[in-house]
Amino acid sequence: MSRLFLLLLAASLAPPGPGRLFSRRTAAGLRRGSTPGFSGFSAERGKELYYRRNTKDGKAISCASCHSDDPRRSGMTPSFRKIGPMASAVNPERFRDPAKVEKWFRRNCDDVLSRACTPLEKGDFLTFLTTLR
Amino acid sequence: MRYLASLIAASLLLAGTSHAEEHEGRRLAMPAKVSAAWKTECGSCHMAYPPGLLPGRSWNALMDNLSHHFGSNASLDKGTEAEIRQFLLYASSDRDTRPAKAAPGERIVTRITDTARFADWHEEVRADVFRRQSVGSAANCMACHRGAEQGNFDEHQVRIPR
Ligand code: HEC
Ligand code: HEC
Ligand code: HEC
Repeated sequence: MSRLFLLLLAASLAPPGPGRLFSRRTAAGLRRGSTPGFSGFSAERGKELYYRRNTKDGKAISCASCHSDDPRRSGMTPSFRKIGPMASAVNPERFRDPAKVEKWFRRNCDDVLSRACTPLEKGDFLTFLTTLR
Repeated sequence: MRYLASLIAASLLLAGTSHAEEHEGRRLAMPAKVSAAWKTECGSCHMAYPPGLLPGRSWNALMDNLSHHFGSNASLDKGTEAEIRQFLLYASSDRDTRPAKAAPGERIVTRITDTARFADWHEEVRADVFRRQSVGSAANCMACHRGAEQGNFDEHQVRIPR
């Protein structure tokens, strides 16, 4: 599972371009793995995850609450730190370090969804943000 | 004679401390060598609060509980956590490295804004000023102290936004 995700991330480091983002091996690995019926990542599903609203401590929260309604723009944490844009088309610093990506999925999925994100959700999320123009 | 010399030394020392006390806000003792992990990790969601703002046991309490950090998951891998903890304890306001175990009836403060020192420093700042939209909250030191992350709280450089 984690090897698979690393492959996915390694592939995401390649220059953006929908066709080249995730290697065929990654896709095959995912199909063999825990996700039945896997047939590729989807920017559409990633977008849905980005805006999905949940309630936490009586307040609405989503990935967009910190990362901004437009991923091509800067966001802001509730504790006043500016966050650079999430779309890699405008922010080339995005998604370069697999350990950093994993760390933030671990924290933010817990904060927003009160659970871990699945490999499929992570792949969809990254696909959305690396293909957005 | 010896005695006289020691008295002079002692009074010089005293003068020294009261002087330092008076200018505490100028520069909150920041170690010359700042941990890069602390700067990035503890500065990603809010400003990186200088270690001299809290006693050691408060930092220990915070570092013990990063996955439930004021309602946020701020968890770190073990190695980074240990490095940051050491940096914070070494430069804390009292260099106390004891674990965060409260004595009966004692409460270990984890918010800088809940400390008695914070209240003293801001005796003249009205509570509603901290709630201004342009400020956000008292924990947003940078709104008024631009050099806050470098440990500079000089009262002559404070600028309260409208
Ligand atoms: C409470 C604020 C907050 C929320 C809500 C939030 N994030 Fe984040 N996220 C951050 C911060 C802060 C960073 C680190 C700053 C940076 O990378 O510029 C970050 C970084 C990330 C990164 C790493 C980006 C990289 O370049 O490596 C990923 C992935 C991520 N977030 C995913 C998510 C997902 C998925 C959600 C929703 C389930 C979400 N975030 C919701 C604050 C938030
Ligand atoms: C994932 C985001 C996140 C990360 C990473 C993070 N914090 Fe926080 N921190 C918060 C939030 C949210 C608050 C509460 C803000 C509020 O309610 O005012 C907070 C508050 C604090 C406060 C109290 C401020 C006050 O006086 O009110 C301290 C001290 C603090 N953090 C220290 C740290 C340290 C040390 C680290 C690094 C080990 C760290 N934080 C990393 C999110 C984070
Ligand atoms: C709304 C603006 C505002 C915010 C936010 C704020 N301060 Fe202050 N602070 C002030 C003002 C104004 C003074 C000077 C008070 C005076 O002159 O009596 C001050 C004084 C101080 C001093 C004493 C300075 C000296 O030279 O003696 C310290 C230390 C300090 N603040 C730390 C902090 C820290 C730490 C935070 C964040 C946790 C913070 N402040 C947040 C406005 C602010």
